[in-house]
Amino acid sequence: MYNTKKLVENILITTDELKEKIIEGLGLEDIGIDEIDDDMALFGEDGLGLDSVDAIELTLIIEKEFGVKIKDMGESENIFSSPNTLVAYINEKQELDKK
Amino acid sequence: MKIYDMDNKCYIDIKEVKNPKTKVEQLSHVLHCFENDIFEVIYDKSQPALVKYIKSLNKDLLYQDGMQFLYFTSGTTGLPTGVFKTKDNSIKQAKALIKTLGDRKFNRVVTTVPFVHIYGVDIGAVVPKLLDIDIWIKENFLPEELITEAEKEGTLIVTTPVFIKALNRIKKDANLSGSLFLTSTAPVPKEDGKEFHEQYKTSVSQLFASTETGLMGHKIDDEEILKIYDGVEISEKYNMLRVSSPFLTQKILKDGVLEDVKPPFQTEDIVEILNDKEFKLLGRSSNLAKIAGKRISTQQIEGIIEAMDDIDCALIKIRRDERALKDEILDIYVESKNGLDAKFLRKILKEHFGAMNIAFKIFNNVKIVRSSVGKKIGFKEL
Repeated sequence: MYNTKKLVENILITTDELKEKIIEGLGLEDIGIDEIDDDMALFGEDGLGLDSVDAIELTLIIEKEFGVKIKDMGESENIFSSPNTLVAYINEKQELDKK
Repeated sequence: MKIYDMDNKCYIDIKEVKNPKTKVEQLSHVLHCFENDIFEVIYDKSQPALVKYIKSLNKDLLYQDGMQFLYFTSGTTGLPTGVFKTKDNSIKQAKALIKTLGDRKFNRVVTTVPFVHIYGVDIGAVVPKLLDIDIWIKENFLPEELITEAEKEGTLIVTTPVFIKALNRIKKDANLSGSLFLTSTAPVPKEDGKEFHEQYKTSVSQLFASTETGLMGHKIDDEEILKIYDGVEISEKYNMLRVSSPFLTQKILKDGVLEDVKPPFQTEDIVEILNDKEFKLLGRSSNLAKIAGKRISTQQIEGIIEAMDDIDCALIKIRRDERALKDEILDIYVESKNGLDAKFLRKILKEHFGAMNIAFKIFNNVKIVRSSVGKKIGFKEL
């Protein structure tokens, strides 16, 4: 799992920014940012309820919007757990790219 | 032929698996049944409404002599239709597909699809079985991972149009000319087929099929004309395709009643037949939407909505957005005093279809227009 606490102090993107992109990119206009908890499961019947096609769309959105490539699905199971873990991953990658 | 589990990096045995959950388990079990002539009911256990429906059926109806698999597909009346297939159906069909590969040699199949539908079973499992090549499988693929696999010479990729579109969007500099992609029934738009071929120097063979008929025709990249498979005979009635072939089901289970199927089988695909070997697909008269790889009857969803309090009538039209990975969106027109709330509908759909995110847009404040015989034919804005 990604260390979300460590990254909170130096956030590059926020969970709200990510949620906006998810709502816009996946056509979930009926869902508001405040209805998606930071720790809510993105996939599966509990939580936001995204499916396997959404997972592929999400990787493309993250690459386009934040310039971060997710190359390994094994790795992405943790990354995609919740908005928190996804933001932590994006920020960590962006920080690494800067160095 | 062996199964390679890419997640756990090991070969796995073909064996009986009670209540298979992962793709690897599904594949192992399906091949075990196929090899040992064991009948099995194949369906997507992640769809609660389908599971409930199948459990409600009389078990004597499900087990029919001489059949290999019973699949469930979304019926146009709203209830799932059971489609029985024999082993002979699958073998003859696989041979017809292999013939279209010509002299090309493949050393493995990589599949992104599950084994809960006929496409996964017949193309992702039976074809490699007949070719006697290994099946490489992973629970979830990302587009980048699929490119890495397709870069390896002699790989036959069994996938869906979603991945073709996704690969076009990432535009990676990769030469995939040593591999061939096969995609399922949903059409790959002409421009996407062309772009894919030019970007990756490979081809996508698009299989045109249905659960009832099995394979009917195929086309490559940006071709518009479908060529029929060996053994398939086509004709039309009211511009809709009729098919006879050795891959056709002989028995279906419709609305809980067994029916014999006599060829030619009438599809709901609107076509222009060019000659006895070629046709063009012009559209689909059917009310079936394809969402996340699953066929869903719009009539079934209309029924779900109309069962809600305060809803008088619902009409669903399928809208296509070819740029999106989920390219079929449901426009839902609702006749109701208080309107239909999108969040509530999303919750109800989840209860029926499980973890499937259906793309839809609701239009409240309309009056549904009916024909003289009561059929919903359109709407008027109020």
